[in-house]
Amino acid sequence: MSSISQTDWSETLKFWPRHNEALYKRLETKHSWLETSGDGAPADPLEHEMVLNIGPQHPATHGVLRCVVKLDGETIERSVLDIGYLHRGIEKIAENKTYQEFMPYTDRMDYLQPYANNVAWCLAVEKLAAIEVPERAQWIRMMMSELARISAHLIWMGVGLMDAGAVSVFLWTFQYREDIYAIFDEVAGARLTVSHSRIGGVATDVNETGIGLIKDFTDRFPEAVESWEKLLNRNRIWIDRNVGIGQMSADDVVRMGLTGPNLRGSGVAHDIRRFEPYLKYDEVDFIIPIRTEGDALARYFVRLEEMKESVKIIRQCLEKLKTVKGPVRTDDAKRAYPNKDEVYYSMEGLIHDFMYTDTGVAPPKGAATYHAIEAAKGELGFYLQSDGTGYPWRARMNSPSFTNLQGLEHLLEGAHMGDMVILIGTVDPVLGEADK
Amino acid sequence: MSSMADSPKTPKAPSTLPFDFVPQEPETAVANNPHAKATTQVADVVDALKAHFDQSIRDLVVYAGEHTVLVDREAIVEVCRFLSEEKGFSYLADLGGIDRFTEEERYEVFYNLVNIEGGKRIRITIRVEEDTMTAPTVTGIFPAANWNERECYDMFGITFDGHPDMRRMYMPEDFEYHPLRKEFPLLGVPGSLPLPPQSPTGELTGDPFPAAHGHKPPKSFQEVKSEEDND
Repeated sequence: MSSISQTDWSETLKFWPRHNEALYKRLETKHSWLETSGDGAPADPLEHEMVLNIGPQHPATHGVLRCVVKLDGETIERSVLDIGYLHRGIEKIAENKTYQEFMPYTDRMDYLQPYANNVAWCLAVEKLAAIEVPERAQWIRMMMSELARISAHLIWMGVGLMDAGAVSVFLWTFQYREDIYAIFDEVAGARLTVSHSRIGGVATDVNETGIGLIKDFTDRFPEAVESWEKLLNRNRIWIDRNVGIGQMSADDVVRMGLTGPNLRGSGVAHDIRRFEPYLKYDEVDFIIPIRTEGDALARYFVRLEEMKESVKIIRQCLEKLKTVKGPVRTDDAKRAYPNKDEVYYSMEGLIHDFMYTDTGVAPPKGAATYHAIEAAKGELGFYLQSDGTGYPWRARMNSPSFTNLQGLEHLLEGAHMGDMVILIGTVDPVLGEADK
Repeated sequence: MSSMADSPKTPKAPSTLPFDFVPQEPETAVANNPHAKATTQVADVVDALKAHFDQSIRDLVVYAGEHTVLVDREAIVEVCRFLSEEKGFSYLADLGGIDRFTEEERYEVFYNLVNIEGGKRIRITIRVEEDTMTAPTVTGIFPAANWNERECYDMFGITFDGHPDMRRMYMPEDFEYHPLRKEFPLLGVPGSLPLPPQSPTGELTGDPFPAAHGHKPPKSFQEVKSEEDND
């Protein structure tokens, strides 16, 4: 409870002593101007300052986020976030896999919306190697990515409300997330780690059962959102816990580089779907919800509206898929996997399948591109560099949770300890993505 | 590709293996990229940069409609300030390092800047030599660069002069390597990360797979001799 400097951390913490020492030293030296600016004010005789370590194993930190905060009474004076407890070196792994081989790894980045990660990776490779994607595949990708966005927002909502003490909403949202799992199971063959997207298209077409499930979901889901709105939008407890919490101005969020709903909740109209439309987003009708308040409540409304807009997009995709027929993967065996019929019944197809697995697509030497999509958390981009072989020379992931967590460190400072869990929820980090 | 007609006259060249991989030259694929975006068309910004920083602009690469401007390492702060204040590129989307192993000026740092109002995106890169391994920080202009520069330091060992908090991002401070360097093995360096002790009073272990390396931990029913027993 007393001053940090008196404790020899290398003795008390045997595990990674230098790491913890540096972390606590950072907490001490951060904003040291706060202490030097005072005119020699006497030290606090009650010693009400406390250093509190939350995580990485705390359930409210949404994964393995470690927050070391210095408290002055109830107020968080300084905070230092420590991430990397889920670091797997995914960029290093990508350098040692072919482009198609690496795609299943993206499922494990933002594990709340794997489908969008697959699409983001495949689009980045397609841009690098200039591969065209058939129209039907683009509509399927778009529809499923929006479903993934809904499922990610459902987790945010359920867990966020559970953080605030309302456990039942978690069960309600999971009911609909379960429906989305069933859709993914039908369309992609897996509930969570879908790996459905392929370079040059998608693995399989959506069948009638899948279309039926999606249609059924879009029919039922808006009513559910409405009922949640009835419960929450004028709910005294929920609003009091959120209004004015974690406020950030439009200038600040841009300077801190926040992305996604955190950016739009502060009144910055930036959405990759509008900024640089990918897939068919320039052909569908939807709005980008924006709030100007910049607090946790604004971000709640933005995400809630986004779910409704996603349903709107999915409906248009379903409508389009009735008329847009054709292949779901590009018919160039040097650039995409051949059809399974070809593989099983022709020698050429088998050779192509083998060669694509062995070498895969080889973008031109020296090529470097960046392609981003608007994932549920924000701008998810891949910066790829090719050396002319089937392996990326450098695969850089710009993950939205990483940038948003940096903003969280600033949001926490000056907030009350009791709001901390709400703040983590409102920033909506996924540590699988932030830690790479 | 050598034609059959002139082969009898010229001495026979050593034939390349038919399955040897020949890297593709860039000119074929770049002509019109189906995924090229309108936001990356920033020729006017590049012209303005050239006008302002004539000496510092070293190279310009355009691929798939994306402009990558290579600038001098010392000029990066001024270039960023100019882009941020004069051209509206006030949003840092991404920053990271690249290892150009076997090339001169081995490391590269890229800055992915976005002009939100103007709808533009530009990429600036700088080169970092292996013997200096430092670059100026841009956290003064983009506070968002803080964690990205820390990550770059963690992964490549490039330190950023003037950075407020040059700690590692992911790896513990006790780690001695920089994993995204090309010479770092994919499987890691055995023993480089201390692992938690196997028992509350035990020592830190260095080997993640002790059983595979001949070490047999005592079974739960076997009593471990304490130090007092040994005495």
